[in-house]
Amino acid sequence: MFRPIFSIAGTTIGEAIRRKVLLVILLIGAFLLILAPSLGILSARSETTVLKGMMLGVIQLTSAVIAIVLTVYMIPNEIERRTIYTILSKPVQRWQFLVGKYLGAVGALGLMMALMGLLMVLMFRFEMGMTSVSDLSDLLKAPLMYFVQMSILASVAVAFSTFVTPLVNFFLSGSIYLIGSLFNPFFETIQSSPNTPAVAKGFATLVNAILPNFANYNVQNPIINPGQEIHNEGSYYMMATVYGVFYILIALIVGILVFDRREV
Amino acid sequence: MAQERRKPTPLIVALVVCLFAQGSIQAGYLFKSWKQNFAPKSNVADFSGVNPDMYLFALAGFREMIAGILWVRADTFFDNGNYDAILPIIRLVTLLDPHEIDVFATGMWHIGYNFTDEEQRSDRRYIPSALALGKEGCAENPQTYELFFETGWLWYHKIDDDYDKAVYWFNLAQTKPDMIPARKNLLAMAYQRDGDPVKGLDTYLSLYKTAADVASKDAAFGNRQNRDTLENNVDTTLVRLVQRGFIAETKHEPLTDYDVSPPFDVGFSVKATVIEPRRINFEGTWNVLPVGTRIRVVLKDEDFPNSEPAGMKWDATDSVSLDPPKDTTFMQDQLFVKNRRFSHKVDMSKDPTMYPFKSPSYVLEFYYNPRSAPPHIQDKFSWNGEGMTDKNFLHTDIRPGQKVVYWKVPLTRDQLLRRGAYAMDGGTVPVVKTPGYKDSTKTYEKDNTIIEIPSLRAGAK
Repeated sequence: MFRPIFSIAGTTIGEAIRRKVLLVILLIGAFLLILAPSLGILSARSETTVLKGMMLGVIQLTSAVIAIVLTVYMIPNEIERRTIYTILSKPVQRWQFLVGKYLGAVGALGLMMALMGLLMVLMFRFEMGMTSVSDLSDLLKAPLMYFVQMSILASVAVAFSTFVTPLVNFFLSGSIYLIGSLFNPFFETIQSSPNTPAVAKGFATLVNAILPNFANYNVQNPIINPGQEIHNEGSYYMMATVYGVFYILIALIVGILVFDRREV
Repeated sequence: MAQERRKPTPLIVALVVCLFAQGSIQAGYLFKSWKQNFAPKSNVADFSGVNPDMYLFALAGFREMIAGILWVRADTFFDNGNYDAILPIIRLVTLLDPHEIDVFATGMWHIGYNFTDEEQRSDRRYIPSALALGKEGCAENPQTYELFFETGWLWYHKIDDDYDKAVYWFNLAQTKPDMIPARKNLLAMAYQRDGDPVKGLDTYLSLYKTAADVASKDAAFGNRQNRDTLENNVDTTLVRLVQRGFIAETKHEPLTDYDVSPPFDVGFSVKATVIEPRRINFEGTWNVLPVGTRIRVVLKDEDFPNSEPAGMKWDATDSVSLDPPKDTTFMQDQLFVKNRRFSHKVDMSKDPTMYPFKSPSYVLEFYYNPRSAPPHIQDKFSWNGEGMTDKNFLHTDIRPGQKVVYWKVPLTRDQLLRRGAYAMDGGTVPVVKTPGYKDSTKTYEKDNTIIEIPSLRAGAK
């Protein structure tokens, strides 16, 4: 059952790595990471703070663009090039094809994010002289959470790619990412405001429970500004990952349901 | 392609289960934990100075990145001397990333110190905002001593009055585990300036005990230096407590042979002349010969908001305003005493935004508080003015618990702007002076003026 999935995933990773547009985005990200230390000369602490913020921001932004660009073309391209017929004529189920494609995309995304994370660590080690292993490994907590965040984003884009065009999907997935990132702060405001009607609060709770909450993975602030006390940090990361897995399953199931019914 | 279609029921069931599971995790755990640990505390509606693209980025989770870019931009403005542009950026950065401690500290200093007139007098209308920024920074970063210390320092050094507030903030800073040992000494000094040298001594003793303990375990130069400094501070405070008669006074013994007795009459007198529109010349007497006396002079609207004698309620607000009320006037300067006299011109004509003179009535105040005096003068006056008197202007009600010299006189806008009956061409020259003021023909402005430095005690006899 899993063999075709892994086979498709492996092929997808190879295709993704060969795609020039993704490599260009990755190169821009890497270029910004290398350039970041020369942006400003501040006090030692400010410089580290600003640099961490910039580098994590660059990784997150680049990863989001890669995740969307990588996935929006995934199914439509296969249909357009008619390669899907060759694959589905073999003993491969549609759900296996979709899951394989998704896992391939996430694998390629993970490789690219790992490269950027490694580059960031190297910059801090050699450019900023950060020698503490624990400090350097702390830096990687945020990219790890971003990886879960981008995996959710990729699953949403894959689900959309089963029934919308790439261009529409690009904006649709981007909007979902934006709204999902914004909703936690807005939800907090709505919940804490005494003037909000109970119906609005109920509706907001419903939306909060359905929307993918990308803000859960924006954990960079305590890494950028060390010294803040994070309660049950390990549990939070674990639960956020479990939440991510559930959301990825939701998006993939929706994708499978639609793809199953699509005339190809 | 013709493929066998599966029944969707199991998938729909799985979908419902997953939806329920993720919703439960989000509502039951993640949101609460996110709110506690990662939620931005600032109101997104406050980012009014951010470009739309930056606003969007900031909202989408790139707050720290935008904060960093803005802070780098602010640094270039510092280098170029474009100070006006820095303030809104500082405010934005603190809203975007309220854990940027350096930005809060720099912002407080910048707001409190760097807005000055042509003669380098600070615009004190900004100080409530500087304090509000400090309070906000403390609330956002309660884990570190830094902003508590910086807020205390603003009270101690810039406001240079109301030392109980400096004591309050330094005490809070002291409770933080990362407080730097050398900075802890300031609490003892703040206690002394607050008129409570015994608590100052207790603080020194407590710090000395810790420092001696640290130095005995690790004889590094810094540890030994801190211990020795504290030992010296303890010695000095003990000597002062005795010499200034503080210990005798607490034992209700006569103060006959102590430095503070008899109280020294400072003989304050002043004449203020509005020589030109918005320009005032101050001349006067202060019988203290040793250098180091600075008498505070304040000119402010009669109805200045939150006004207090020779000042204002500095921490009356909790909101950071980058625009102090443009229609209020508050000028504060110091009159430096040399050879028992002072002479100083204050020119407010070049800074109409800082001194708009919109109010019809003003009050001119003169104020001397021995708590702010340097130690060699405090040796005579003591911490609360026990060794100081003035036959005309000594007050004990202006600042409860201490003797201060204070005089105030009203002025009108016409007088200050030389209008109407006070016009420059033939009108009366506005002059206000204390009773008993005598003009002196002596000048002390030559470079070769010799300053004699007998002790205040000798001068009193």
